[in-house]
Amino acid sequence: MINIETEVVVVGAGPGGYAAAFYAADHGKKVILIERDERLGGVCLNRGCIPSKALLHAAKLISEAKESSFRGIEFAEPKINLDKMREWKNSIITKLSQGIASLGQRRNVEVIYGRGYFEGNDTIRVETSEGQKFIKYQKAIIAVGSKPALPAAFDLGNPRIMTSTEALEIEEIPQKLLVVGGGYIGMELGTVYASMGSEVTMVEAMDSILMGADPDLIRPVKDYAAKAFKEVRTKAKVLSMATQKKQISVKMEHEGKATEELYDRVLVSVGRVPNSDDMGLENTKVQLDAKKFIQVNDRCQTSDPNICAIGDIAGGVLLAHKAAKEARIAVENIVGEASTSKDVIIPAVVFTDPEVAWCGLTETEAKQKGIEVKSVKFPWSASGRALTFDRTDGLTKLVIEPETDRILGVGIVGHGAGELISEGVLAVEMGATAKDLAESVHPHPTLSETLMESAELFYGYATHAVMRRRPSETSVAAS
Amino acid sequence: MDVRVPQLAEGVTSGTVVSLLVKEGESVKKEQTLLELETNKAVATIPSPGEGTIAKILVSEGDEVAVGSVLMSLSADGAAPVEASQPAAAVPSPSAPASIPAPAAAVQQSPVQTTTVQAPVTYQYQSLAGSPPPASPSIRKMAFQLGIDLMRVKGSENGGRIVLEDVKNYIQFLQAKAFSETGSSAASGTKPAKTVDFSKWGEVSRKKMSRLRRTISEQMSDCWRTIPHVTQFDDASLDALMKLRKKYVEDYKKAGASLTVTTFVLKAVVDTLKKHPIFNASIDEATDEVVYKEYYNLGIAVDTDQGLIVPVIRNVDRKNLFELSLELADLAARTRDRKVSMDDLQGASFTISNQGGIGGTHFTPIVNKPEVAILGLGKGGIKPVVKDGKITTGLTMPVALSYDHRLIDGGSAARFMTDFCLALQNFTDADLKLTGSKQSSQKKASPNKSKKRGKK
Repeated sequence: MINIETEVVVVGAGPGGYAAAFYAADHGKKVILIERDERLGGVCLNRGCIPSKALLHAAKLISEAKESSFRGIEFAEPKINLDKMREWKNSIITKLSQGIASLGQRRNVEVIYGRGYFEGNDTIRVETSEGQKFIKYQKAIIAVGSKPALPAAFDLGNPRIMTSTEALEIEEIPQKLLVVGGGYIGMELGTVYASMGSEVTMVEAMDSILMGADPDLIRPVKDYAAKAFKEVRTKAKVLSMATQKKQISVKMEHEGKATEELYDRVLVSVGRVPNSDDMGLENTKVQLDAKKFIQVNDRCQTSDPNICAIGDIAGGVLLAHKAAKEARIAVENIVGEASTSKDVIIPAVVFTDPEVAWCGLTETEAKQKGIEVKSVKFPWSASGRALTFDRTDGLTKLVIEPETDRILGVGIVGHGAGELISEGVLAVEMGATAKDLAESVHPHPTLSETLMESAELFYGYATHAVMRRRPSETSVAAS
Repeated sequence: MDVRVPQLAEGVTSGTVVSLLVKEGESVKKEQTLLELETNKAVATIPSPGEGTIAKILVSEGDEVAVGSVLMSLSADGAAPVEASQPAAAVPSPSAPASIPAPAAAVQQSPVQTTTVQAPVTYQYQSLAGSPPPASPSIRKMAFQLGIDLMRVKGSENGGRIVLEDVKNYIQFLQAKAFSETGSSAASGTKPAKTVDFSKWGEVSRKKMSRLRRTISEQMSDCWRTIPHVTQFDDASLDALMKLRKKYVEDYKKAGASLTVTTFVLKAVVDTLKKHPIFNASIDEATDEVVYKEYYNLGIAVDTDQGLIVPVIRNVDRKNLFELSLELADLAARTRDRKVSMDDLQGASFTISNQGGIGGTHFTPIVNKPEVAILGLGKGGIKPVVKDGKITTGLTMPVALSYDHRLIDGGSAARFMTDFCLALQNFTDADLKLTGSKQSSQKKASPNKSKKRGKK
């Protein structure tokens, strides 16, 4: 038995955990980072954001090559070597993971690999390959994240029923793939498999895919899905699954009819659940909510004065950059700088084709809350840059407070929306007005001009769009 | 939709929630009264801005809330309940004297300075969207660490955005205010309040001073401290007046009005003020100017269960005795029920305090700033009077006029008093007669008027 003492212990080395560990070390704290996986980086790096984006890049390459014949460029059918693709994807992960390890080393953050278990609110036990280690800490930051939900009814122990974790390993390209759940994970991975040749059927229980986003922003994604997927069934429910030889037999209900179909593989992407089990939280004063997320206040503090929680495990939106921001907030409060998550803008990005991104107040939310806003929309059909690569299926939208012209929210759909949204985040965080955005020169020809031009549109003078008579309608006609 | 404390009246920056009339989850109609707010002047009702369901109530009875802060959130029917963005902000106390200047402009100013810094004490950021005040993340972080509520800081940049300079100015203002408060109390020799243990000498009970009492206390101390008071006494003969009153009181009663001495006093005061306009004036202390008013709005001190309230009858010079008697009765009744609106309590140019109904003779009323004079009436009665060299009896009323000696000299006061006493004797039948048409038109007009006011 080994006893170690430290000032700060961080449990979980995902994008929240390693950021917290590094930041605490940068503040001069003695930090121990505990990771149960053999690699640092968490789900995001190993089984989430990063591998999915790598595969989406590959998927894009395939679909762009396929759609280039009208430009006078023709390619032969792509030959896909899955082993090589996996190797390439894993090389990215390895590179990033090693990078994190070396960044930790240079900050003298001690990494202990093994499962952490709270013995009390000042001691955590780690089961390592070298035996048990007991760490006595002053402050702990829990950043153990979440995992894909797999409802018991679907959990047949059959590897053909996958969650995002297995789907990212691309063992094979199934001929017929069923994606259960039309959220962003299902959409992104459905896109990957469809590009590589699978016949994708998507099932969503709600009225629409990508619920929560403004309907006008997801329209281009729906159009893509209608084209790339075999079928998208909304308001449909999967009743049961059964193994049938090398296939999965799926019973579902759609439009009042019950069907039974065979699929080669099924991807279940119906949400994520917190990893709060089996880590000894009952030995601390930490409290969980009904869904087993850790309850925290706006300073990322739990009900246990020694313990903070950040990222997915603390609930809210399950996004890596939210975890990274909370890492800052938690550490700042630990080192005595007051810091709050209140009024922090967390942007959302869906890496579909085209991408959807938004930040701040959405039109949907404004409507729900009865907030009066004005919105302006700039269609990418009026963007020269979008035309140059044949992706005019985009829209840039500003949600504006009418009395002050302040930008309360930004929504973008289109190629590279994920990169473009950051300017919107800055505008909302800075309390910028539409005038501020309109007055800032944007380089030509870029997609970022659509942000400037939508602000100009608010005042009725965008160069490349014409406002209709009534400004309240804020409709535009492309020039 | 957030329901916020509206701008109640000039100088009213906060109120106390006296009663909550709705519960969370209750559906409400537009204009339905949600809660009652007691301010230092009256009880104001807060109506619902629209139809919907009360999603969340952020205050409870007894809470003190600032203008602009969120009281509750209302969700349109069908919509999910919404978390209100910001709970009602606590009111900084004690209320700051209004004379504190706004912070001096920053050392370095941008070449084009279009906004002026508003006195931060009364400033409260308001956003219909319920969004926090616009400020960059770095400024918000700094404010959070300093414990400065940005809702109270007025931003000078485009769209009201708060920049470092604004926060600096605000902090400087707070510091200046802190120093000027200790300075003034030292200058006036006020000692810090001390708690006396009265229970040493017997049983006692303690009760919190009501807001109204606190306001009266502050206002009276301020007036007493800053105005050099002199009080002029006289006895006014009411014989002629009471004779006339007797003649018409029944007619008035039939017409639904009660003809009281105060009604006559209102009219006599206006006649006298017209002759002596300095008594209807105010001192503008900031500019050293005398402000003469072309209107005659008379405050009437009304004794209520909770304390003294002074509602105002406007344009007394343009109303006849019948109209005044109706309005007086209505106003007094609404004041006793604490139902007067903020508007009813503002803009007096002279005040009358009548204790005649209670008893006593001469007393020395305190001038109600920024007015410069106040008339106190005692209980009238039969007294010995000398008339034509003989001692006889007459109905007289003790009258006392307190005035601000900074502006008004003793001679002027004596002349005012003489003219006032004469005016009380000079009423004629013409002043009192109810003409048929007038009367009926009054009857119609008055209820309408009060209805209108009730809506406010």
